[in-house]
Amino acid sequence: MTAVDLSEGHRESRRERRRRERQQEQFDAIPIKLYGLRRGTVTGLTLLCGLFAVFTLIPVVWIVINATKTQANLFQTFGFWFARPFAFFSNFGRLFQDIGGNGTYIRWFGNTALYALLGGGGATALCTMAGYGFARYRFRGSQALFYIVMAALMVPITAITFPLFLVYTKVHLINSIWGMILPSLVSPVGMYLMRTYVQLSVPRELIDAARLDGAGEVRIFFRIALPLMVPGVMTVLLISVVAVWNNYFLPLIIFSKNDLFPLTVGMGVWSYAARATSGTDVLYPMIVIGGLVTIVPLIALFLLLQRYWRGGLLLGSIAN
Amino acid sequence: MSHTAVRTRQDPDRTAARTHAVRTAWVRRRDRRGFVFVAPFIAAFVLFILVPLGYAIYSSFYTTRIIGGTVFAGADNYRQVLGSGQFWSGVVRVVVFGAIQITIMLVIAFFFATIFDLGLVKFGRTFRTIYFIPFAVPIVVAALMWGFLLQPRFGPFTRLAEVAGFPGTNFLSDKLMLPSIILIVIWEWTGYNMIILYTALKSVPRDLVEAAILDGARVWKIIFRIKLPLVRPAIVMLIFLNSIGASQLFVEPLILNNYQNGVITNYWTPTYFIYNTAVAGSQYNLAAAMAVILGLVVVFISVAALIVRRRKGELT
Repeated sequence: MTAVDLSEGHRESRRERRRRERQQEQFDAIPIKLYGLRRGTVTGLTLLCGLFAVFTLIPVVWIVINATKTQANLFQTFGFWFARPFAFFSNFGRLFQDIGGNGTYIRWFGNTALYALLGGGGATALCTMAGYGFARYRFRGSQALFYIVMAALMVPITAITFPLFLVYTKVHLINSIWGMILPSLVSPVGMYLMRTYVQLSVPRELIDAARLDGAGEVRIFFRIALPLMVPGVMTVLLISVVAVWNNYFLPLIIFSKNDLFPLTVGMGVWSYAARATSGTDVLYPMIVIGGLVTIVPLIALFLLLQRYWRGGLLLGSIAN
Repeated sequence: MSHTAVRTRQDPDRTAARTHAVRTAWVRRRDRRGFVFVAPFIAAFVLFILVPLGYAIYSSFYTTRIIGGTVFAGADNYRQVLGSGQFWSGVVRVVVFGAIQITIMLVIAFFFATIFDLGLVKFGRTFRTIYFIPFAVPIVVAALMWGFLLQPRFGPFTRLAEVAGFPGTNFLSDKLMLPSIILIVIWEWTGYNMIILYTALKSVPRDLVEAAILDGARVWKIIFRIKLPLVRPAIVMLIFLNSIGASQLFVEPLILNNYQNGVITNYWTPTYFIYNTAVAGSQYNLAAAMAVILGLVVVFISVAALIVRRRKGELT
């Protein structure tokens, strides 16, 4: 796909691309008449898909509706319909306040964005270089190194996080943003993905030709390989950002100051406090609207980048 | 695993390069420069995975006493963990959880991936986008939302169950907690698995399917005899990675514990047990031994699965 885009020599608009992709899809698909199915099969299967879509959307719809409710209404009214008073804006406003001394949501939001940007961006840079290195060079021990990295997927996160915590106490990385960002830079899955992508999309001949022309290795990487790797890089970026955005365990262990918490830990603290105070702190509406504000940016990011994850690069990227 | 297959199929040029290029010192030096690209990643990998892992293994052989500080304990911690019924009950729970959850999820994911791939559905694109949304929801938030939905007194699902003729249903009770968590995890991950399988199915050559149709094969035969065997590497990889995820079940029980007292014991899953041992109990050495054993259990199951597959001739 990308190769075609580049050779066409012009940037197609989003609508053009969408139309082309849809036409391609229709062209690729085998006409369903040929499968010899009973009439009504398509309708039936579409309905089934609709059912599963409803199941998928239930919590999302619920959180949108209930972000507009007061604490009393949250528990006393029907969960899938609105109730008066409409408390969305007062709930939203309280995201900017410190509630019950647990910390300020907006601060956590900023922290998460910072960690995701630096950690996810850095992880993408390391994965891109390493994936290229493993895919297109044979140096001594490269195979062994690659398999060691892959084997590390089987190591439980707990086996890494607690020792990290103990090491951090000695090097003063407890309650430091670097303690969160630096470990986020390692993404074996992202590296594996990048390596596979390079094997499929950066031809060896191209690199050899550039070498014959006298280009240095670094120049080849930035000028020739990297442009071809862009869709892969975007996918790895998406996955790394989501991984940091969702990370709960590491920040839970290494942060004790609530103005360093990312969203996940802050929300966890709220949910614990809500139970501990039996709801006297009016935290439940905060949990609901906080959850909504947490997922909106990610869903937006997904819709923006969907042609990348649709493109099938996610293969092999399921572990977070 | 699948990457070997990918490499042999997509990268035939390497063998060619090996035969026609004489391996001169120049070539070798150039190849060594490849290490420069890998070095930053490897450095971070060593610092933030291998070193902590090594430290975990090291500290699992020590113990901290109130009097006398940290002393070498040999295999004491391991003996204690291996003999702990609580630890193993967590392992068993996670294995049961994984077996049920992964099976259901992959069946659903394969079903939808197949009908999307064959084009048997209208609005396929829209459905795929919708199914993928839960991947964007942090697990903490997903658990919080489902906690509300399944809450024993006020949760809408509890009310629906009441209307449907099951009054007094408690989705977070001792009996239903595990099924509820299975439901939540299925909600979180099915779309993601579906997209991966859909992608793999899309890469099955079109002419294979056309030839089968010309031979008069029914749609079932096309799905199970042609498509399924060709996407098996992707399925195996998904089973592997989902199993690793299942072995580390932690966030869902931790969050749901805030909705229902007394069901989630502090040893409910191995990771939860490790967390409680280290944080609440401050027994880092014991927790380290637990983490090492949990890792070994995962390695053992993976290797056993690999050997079985090799015996059956599925791997070469």
